[in-house]
This record gives sequence, structure tokens and C-alpha cells, in this order.
Amino acid sequence: MLFANKNLKLLSFLALLLILAAFAMVLFYAPIELNMGIVQKVFYFHVSAAWIGMLAFLVAAVCGIVYLNKKQLKFDHIAFSAVEIGLLFTAIANFTGMIWAKPIWNTWWTWDPRLTTMTIMAFTYIGYLLLRRGVDNPEKRARFGSVYAIIGFASVPLTFFSSRLLRTIHPTIFGADTGDMAMIPAMYQTMGVSIIAFTFLFAALLWHRSILAARESELDTLRAQTEALEFGEVLDD
Amino acid sequence: MKDWLHSVRALVWKDLLQEWRSKDMLTAMFAFAILTLFIFNYAIELSPVNRAEIASGIIWVVIVFAGTLGLNRSFTSEQDQGCFDALVMAVPDVSAIYFGKMLTNWLVMLFVSLLILPIYSLLYNQSLFNAGFILVLVLGAWCYSAAGTLIAGMTVQTRMRDLLLPILLFPILMPVNMAVVKAAGGILAGAPLVNVQAWLVLLAAYGIIVTTVSILVFEYVIRE
Repeated sequence: MLFANKNLKLLSFLALLLILAAFAMVLFYAPIELNMGIVQKVFYFHVSAAWIGMLAFLVAAVCGIVYLNKKQLKFDHIAFSAVEIGLLFTAIANFTGMIWAKPIWNTWWTWDPRLTTMTIMAFTYIGYLLLRRGVDNPEKRARFGSVYAIIGFASVPLTFFSSRLLRTIHPTIFGADTGDMAMIPAMYQTMGVSIIAFTFLFAALLWHRSILAARESELDTLRAQTEALEFGEVLDD
Repeated sequence: MKDWLHSVRALVWKDLLQEWRSKDMLTAMFAFAILTLFIFNYAIELSPVNRAEIASGIIWVVIVFAGTLGLNRSFTSEQDQGCFDALVMAVPDVSAIYFGKMLTNWLVMLFVSLLILPIYSLLYNQSLFNAGFILVLVLGAWCYSAAGTLIAGMTVQTRMRDLLLPILLFPILMPVNMAVVKAAGGILAGAPLVNVQAWLVLLAAYGIIVTTVSILVFEYVIRE
């Protein structure tokens, strides 16, 4: 029962292969950066994990919108699974960032827009999980979860924009002329492969977790039915 | 549209009248605000030199904390008396409920600010009655009630209720907190409004986005 179907099995193995490939490229193919040294290599997985964090919360918000329109619980299962996985990857991004920041910025933490936004976003989605735990009715839980995922995701760009108005020291890699960190082709290739590998890993995890969420929901329904039956028998006696 | 406005007005009037008769919430919010102010007085050495710079932050935190008390109460009377369904039936569109509650929360927050400002000015001998500063507070309180009313509508129906509201609300409000504190701080330091324009635009954008999204999704919060 590890794999619910063939496609999922294929996707899972593909994700595993890609992750191994990305790992090998980071270790052996990507050069050691001149100024920062070996610690710069954490950057490949750091950026990929941060990307998955954002992607997961986007998926949750989109599934929220779809759920509110279609009222099919499977979209809620996907949204909930995406949030859980997104939180995990956000944590990975934050911790790998810290490992990099200590030698480079000489501090574990700084009030930079990206760090602040990521962390506030993580707290938004911890709130999402708490909100769900406070509601027993699955249909209502799905509704509230969807509403909160939508409003939470809408606030993320505003948080980023406002903290950027304050200040930034985070290196801008893409679309910047300042060149905080110049990348050579081998670095771009490694970056690309790790982002693709993480995306596949995310897809596989999301699929597994959604199936689990659907089973949990079935189990809850069965339990409720059994309890209702037992209660009925007690009444009959 | 006329019906809608009429319902909003009736709702706001009902809530304000109910509050005015008991004054439970206003008294609690006011007392809480003053106590928070006193805590700040001892927690941060408010010397005349740094006082001017951090006044905006302190005032906003005091208003936000007191506002959370108010938000927590904004749906409890309906929830406890089981009048949600009646309320939903009474209005032409559920968005009127959101809008009415949002306006009430906004007005209550502004009322509390109105009480706090002269007291702060008196205690610290620093006048906060500045048109720009008040504009920032009005905008900030709008953003706060816009997000808060939506979240409170959900948390009141959960098991954890009061406990959950700040946990869900504060991360979403982070841009508002930054904008209000920076804009108000700039204004109190004597900067012209043009210098803090970006923050004011951010507040307006936040208010518009959150109010619009809330009106769209509020139906799913309230309807069984």
C-alpha cells in the first residue's frame, strides 16, 4: 500500500533520482565560490526549498478557491497537505539560510525582507493548522481553511513589499544589475536541476499526503458512523 | 443597493446601541489600553529624548491590543444567542453583515483611540493631535478591522475562540503594523506627508484588497 497507483510510484522514483542527481551536482559539479567558499553550496537547496514553500502556499490558496466553488473535499485535502509540506520546506529554507548567514553576514538572523516575510508566512500557516484543529465539522473546517488560505496568501506580497520598503541586505540573484553574487553557467545548471528536483519531490509528497488526508477523512466518517450505531443500540436497550 | 445600505446602517446602529447600553467592551478596552500604556512606561524607559520617536509604535501597539479585545466580542452576541441564521435571513446579502461589523469595529477602535490620544498627550506632555498622525491611525484601524472582522467571524465558531484570533490575525496584519508605525513615526518626527506617501498608499492598498477579498468570501464564513 506504499503506492496507491502506478503513476504515483513513477513520480516518487523520479523525484528520488532527481534529488540524488541534484545532490551530486551540488557536491561535484558546482564550483566552490571564490569569496564565500564551500558554505555557498547550501544556497542551491536553500533557494529550492524557499521556492517550494511559496509554491505550496500558492497551491493551498488556489485549492481554497476551487473548494469554495466546487465543494469537493478532495481539494481541501490537497490544500491542507500543501500547507503541511510548505511549512516543512519553509523551515528548511530558514535553517539553511541561517547556516549560510552565520559565516557570511556574521549573524544567524537579520531583519531582512525575505527572512521576515518567510517567517511571518510560516506563522500564518501555523495559524491555518491551528484554525483547522479548532473545527470539528469537516465541511466547515474545509470552508474556514479555504478562506484563511486565500486571505493569508493575499497578505504575503504586501508583507514582502512593506518589509522591502524598510531595507534589504539579502543578495539578489535574479533580475538584478547590482551583482551581489555573480553566477557562472555551472552554478545556474545546478540551481536549475535542484529547483526541478525539489518541484518533483513536492509533487510526489503532495500526492502521498493528499491520499493520506483522504483516508483520514474516510476513517473519521466511519468512526462517526460506528459511534452513531453504538449510540442507537444503547438507546434501543 | 439601497436595501444593502439600509441593512448596513441598521446593523451598525444595533451593535453600537447594544454596546452603548452595556459599555462592557468599551470599558474593558479602555482600561486595558491604559494599563498597557503603563506597562510600556516601565518596560521602556520613556525619556523625553527617545519618547518622540517611539510614541507611534507604543500608541499603535496599545490600540491593536485593545482592538483585539473588541474584535473577540464582535460576533459573540450572535453566536451565544444563536442569532446567526436570523441575521443571515434579515439582510439582502451577507456582505452587508461583514460591512456592518467591520464599520462597527472600526468606529469602536477609533473611539478608543480618541480616548487614548489625549491621555498619552497629557501623561507625556507631547501633543499627538496632528492631522497626518490621525489620518494614519484612521487608515490603520480600517485595515485592522477589515482583516479582523473576517478572522473573528471564523474564530468565534471554533473551539479555541478568543485564543485563536490574535494567532491568526497578527501575521496577516504585519504589513499594516509596519506601515502605521513607520508612517506615524515619520509624521511625528516632523516629516511632511509626501515623505511617508509610500506607506499611506500601502495602507490604502491593504485596506482595499482585504475588504474586497473579505466581502467575496464572507458568505462561506457565515453560511451553514
